[in-house]
Amino acid sequence: MSADSLDGDDGEAVSETRVRERLDRVTDPELDTSIVDLEYIDSIRIDGDEVHVVFTLPTAWCSPAFAWMMATDARDEVESLPGVSRATVELREHMHEAEINRGVNERLSFGEAFPDADGSVEPVRAELDEKARLSRQHDATGALLDAGLDADQIVGLTPSNVESDGDRARVWLRDGDLAVTVDADPLDRYLEKASATGLLDDDHPELFRTPEGDPIDPDSFELVRHRTRAAGVNMSGQGSVCDALHDARQAEDRPPLSSL
Amino acid sequence: MYEYEGEDVFVIDSHLHLWDATEENIVHEGGEQFIQCFYDYHTAFTPEEKQWSLEEYRKYGADRMKEDLFGNAAVDMGIFQPTYLTDFYDEGFNTAEQNAELAEEYPERFVLNGTFDPRDGEEGLEYLEELNDRYDLQGVKLYTAEWRGDSKGWRLDSEESFKFLEKCAELGIRNIHPHKGPTIRPLNRDAFDVADVDDAATSFPELNFVVEHVGLPRLDDFCWIAAQEPNVYGGLAVAAPMAVHRPRKFGEIMGELLFWLGEDRLLFGSDYALWNPDWLVDVVMNAELTDEQRDEYGVELDLETKKKIMGENAAELYDIDIEAKKEQFKSDDVTEEFGLAEHYGGSSTAPADD
Repeated sequence: MSADSLDGDDGEAVSETRVRERLDRVTDPELDTSIVDLEYIDSIRIDGDEVHVVFTLPTAWCSPAFAWMMATDARDEVESLPGVSRATVELREHMHEAEINRGVNERLSFGEAFPDADGSVEPVRAELDEKARLSRQHDATGALLDAGLDADQIVGLTPSNVESDGDRARVWLRDGDLAVTVDADPLDRYLEKASATGLLDDDHPELFRTPEGDPIDPDSFELVRHRTRAAGVNMSGQGSVCDALHDARQAEDRPPLSSL
Repeated sequence: MYEYEGEDVFVIDSHLHLWDATEENIVHEGGEQFIQCFYDYHTAFTPEEKQWSLEEYRKYGADRMKEDLFGNAAVDMGIFQPTYLTDFYDEGFNTAEQNAELAEEYPERFVLNGTFDPRDGEEGLEYLEELNDRYDLQGVKLYTAEWRGDSKGWRLDSEESFKFLEKCAELGIRNIHPHKGPTIRPLNRDAFDVADVDDAATSFPELNFVVEHVGLPRLDDFCWIAAQEPNVYGGLAVAAPMAVHRPRKFGEIMGELLFWLGEDRLLFGSDYALWNPDWLVDVVMNAELTDEQRDEYGVELDLETKKKIMGENAAELYDIDIEAKKEQFKSDDVTEEFGLAEHYGGSSTAPADD
């Protein structure tokens, strides 16, 4: 087994690579993309069993709720690494960096860090998870269509029809007589968000749903495909915006942010 | 007038500002952050050689604006969309009064929109009437994310908001432009959520709702609402400049918009001075869908579609007679000042009128 696939449970010293692997699991919730891939991480400092992560978001105006999610997720992921007793994060160049850094490192709740915010961070996270689910559903159903399944077969699938080994997935069609093998990635990614949004343990057995969470009528399969396509275009579109802002912010001749 | 492969394209830039973000005008740190955030967007989506310095960007003034719009005949007409932000800026960031400096000098070239904020109550209604008396409004720009005292925003579908929309209907202010784009406040969910447009659009079928920035980053929600509400339109400010460095992504977004809304409900806007029509019009006119995008969406972004997006759709909403305007612009003040007569002189290949 390669070092990459180990989960860090072998007493090896904490390294920057391992911290980065953990941080790779943290996504920008609005883009459904890893904060490592997005190059938000400025530096990682390891001091014995304490880790300090410095990061910058594409704009000083990135939603504080999104910044909060990324900061707390980063803290928790790094702290779950064996050998790390404490992780701290430092968001830079953000309008609310002081509140976020203090709140996350002092383990406050979002409401405690932002007393004037009009709600908790969880509904925001749920909404973005739902967007990510739709986008991933588009990829997963697209892969199944490419593999030759039709609308009726796809809308009837349940989680127990899918067997994945992380590399290839077998999709059993309803009568259980026939399996189609496809790349596991789009299905695994979908299942992760279907689980996060609670679809795997609600009242409906169906794996794929409308944006409202209902089973899909075969007659509206195309429409749902169009809606999930739009969710994906929105996410990747916003990703392009953030990416361009990030590049602009990192440009050498960019004037420094005001210290007002 | 912009010319594309020998054909005239009448351009109405539906999203313009004449703003003041000088340090003297800033009274809240949000004001400084706001202009810097704008500047991030400016540099991110402007070709390098066309970028301004932050100092130029803070306040450019009426003369420079005029030059940018008309100097190379990129724009024929423009619509001013105010953004008050009076908690951040002493005199406001870009008020109807500030925009009026240019709009009143060249009334034939500009449409001046007003605004309202339902949190202002009775006084706000009076201000809306006052603006309407002074400028004969056809539209209002709304900034639901604006901070006001302890409030960090408002909703278009609130009872208070409906009073103002009723007033708009009564005064004949038909075009409502809510800003639905990037957000600023702690946990400002409502500000970037387009859901409040749905109920407002259903309740006021006589009004047109031009969602500025096409709901980005909630494009999918916007498209779904617009597909069901025929009086919902998309303003392309922010989406348009993606054609510069992200042409493929721009094509995808246009594919979605044309698929869900069709070619009659999309309006070009530069968001000047966020971006400059001086170069942006040319970039958008030359943007194309890939073959794959054409197949995927079953739509075209051809010259006829572009002519609608660049001007004809806005003309429809604002009762602008493009042919009459072309005639008028053969000799108006802007044409004299910038030597544009030949642009409005008719096509040289047109048959003689006998």
